[in-house]
Amino acid sequence: MATDFYDALGVARTASADEIQRAYRKLAREYHPDVNADPGAEERFKEISEAYQVLSDPDQRKKYDRFGADFRRVPDDFDERAHAGGGGRVRYAQGGRQGGQGFGGGFEGIDIEDLLGGFFRGRGGPVAGADQEAELELTVDEAYRGGRRHLTLAGAAERGYDVTIPPGVLDGQRIRLAGQGGTGSGNAAPGDLYLVVRVKPHPRYRLSGRDIHVDLPVSPWEAVLGATVPVTTPGGEVKVRVTPGSSTGRRLRLRGEGMPNPKGKPGDLYAEVRVMVPKKPRKRERELFEELAAVSDFDPRSS
Amino acid sequence: MAEYLLVRPVRLSLETVAVQSGLHPELVRRFAALSLLESTTDADGRLWFTPSAVAILARIQRLRSGLSLNYAAIGLVLDLLDRIDVLEAQVRSQRRWT
Repeated sequence: MATDFYDALGVARTASADEIQRAYRKLAREYHPDVNADPGAEERFKEISEAYQVLSDPDQRKKYDRFGADFRRVPDDFDERAHAGGGGRVRYAQGGRQGGQGFGGGFEGIDIEDLLGGFFRGRGGPVAGADQEAELELTVDEAYRGGRRHLTLAGAAERGYDVTIPPGVLDGQRIRLAGQGGTGSGNAAPGDLYLVVRVKPHPRYRLSGRDIHVDLPVSPWEAVLGATVPVTTPGGEVKVRVTPGSSTGRRLRLRGEGMPNPKGKPGDLYAEVRVMVPKKPRKRERELFEELAAVSDFDPRSS
Repeated sequence: MAEYLLVRPVRLSLETVAVQSGLHPELVRRFAALSLLESTTDADGRLWFTPSAVAILARIQRLRSGLSLNYAAIGLVLDLLDRIDVLEAQVRSQRRWT
């Protein structure tokens, strides 16, 4: 593994055994694949577990400090050989794995071998992989149309997927990629990867379930006299008939123009009338409004 | 006349669960006794499990080996993870306005 073990645990090279254990426990709780469904979490968990396995064992830590990443290739009796010129092997006591020591009891005497063994090396029988979850951010238009999309999940081993997004996915829906989750140990099945759809906020479209709401700006005379105005929807431009006498807030429903539904009725599109006025009317416009003000007895506050 | 079909509920025997999860049947039985796995006992005293048992057993093993949790703690963690799943699903379904 490329990462330095001390960096992996976020501790200094001078860290005490206690500090190393504390850092490991904290990170292990954070990145355990059953607690953290992020696709990168499993890899990170393996990294910190490996780092802890080495750094919590005083002998292995010494070796790692001295020889770095290649420490495993250094024979146990390196010093003996160096001093004795290859002869006279001294046997080191093999047993006494540091197991229980670092755990301060209370953990049913689990040793470090147990900690990593069954999980990654296939000892203790195959264990299926955990499910993972990643966010898939889509614009309203992308969610409306669906289609293929290439997705990369960052991490030391970058993963890429070509995902087919069904038209009309909604915020929060999950797309399942079977077998693309956490790796199982031994020949156990991997978990699944779930892509949780996040629909990005859109400046014009607001989604409510499958319904799409959009503002429909009209001029005062269009609102009074009625008009046919174009509205851009995710499905393309449509013409909307504003009935005469439409005040702000009137909603026009365009049946079936909302989000498509792979399993049934599509949503509706609601265009909400908003009467807009010219900020700086020209002279003539102003005169006409003044005339209107003088003639009209309309009082919007009377009801 | 309405016809009623006999439908066998989807349930797995102790042996099936043990084989599928690669564990000794006694260990699976012990997990059931510790209430880490939901199980039912039939008239003959045989244990039956839901199809989700295999995934839960994998999770139990991962939690035990990865966080060196004891079985009491694993029971709590399983319950909490289930509750978090429910809450997250609720939050997702409430966030309808984008």
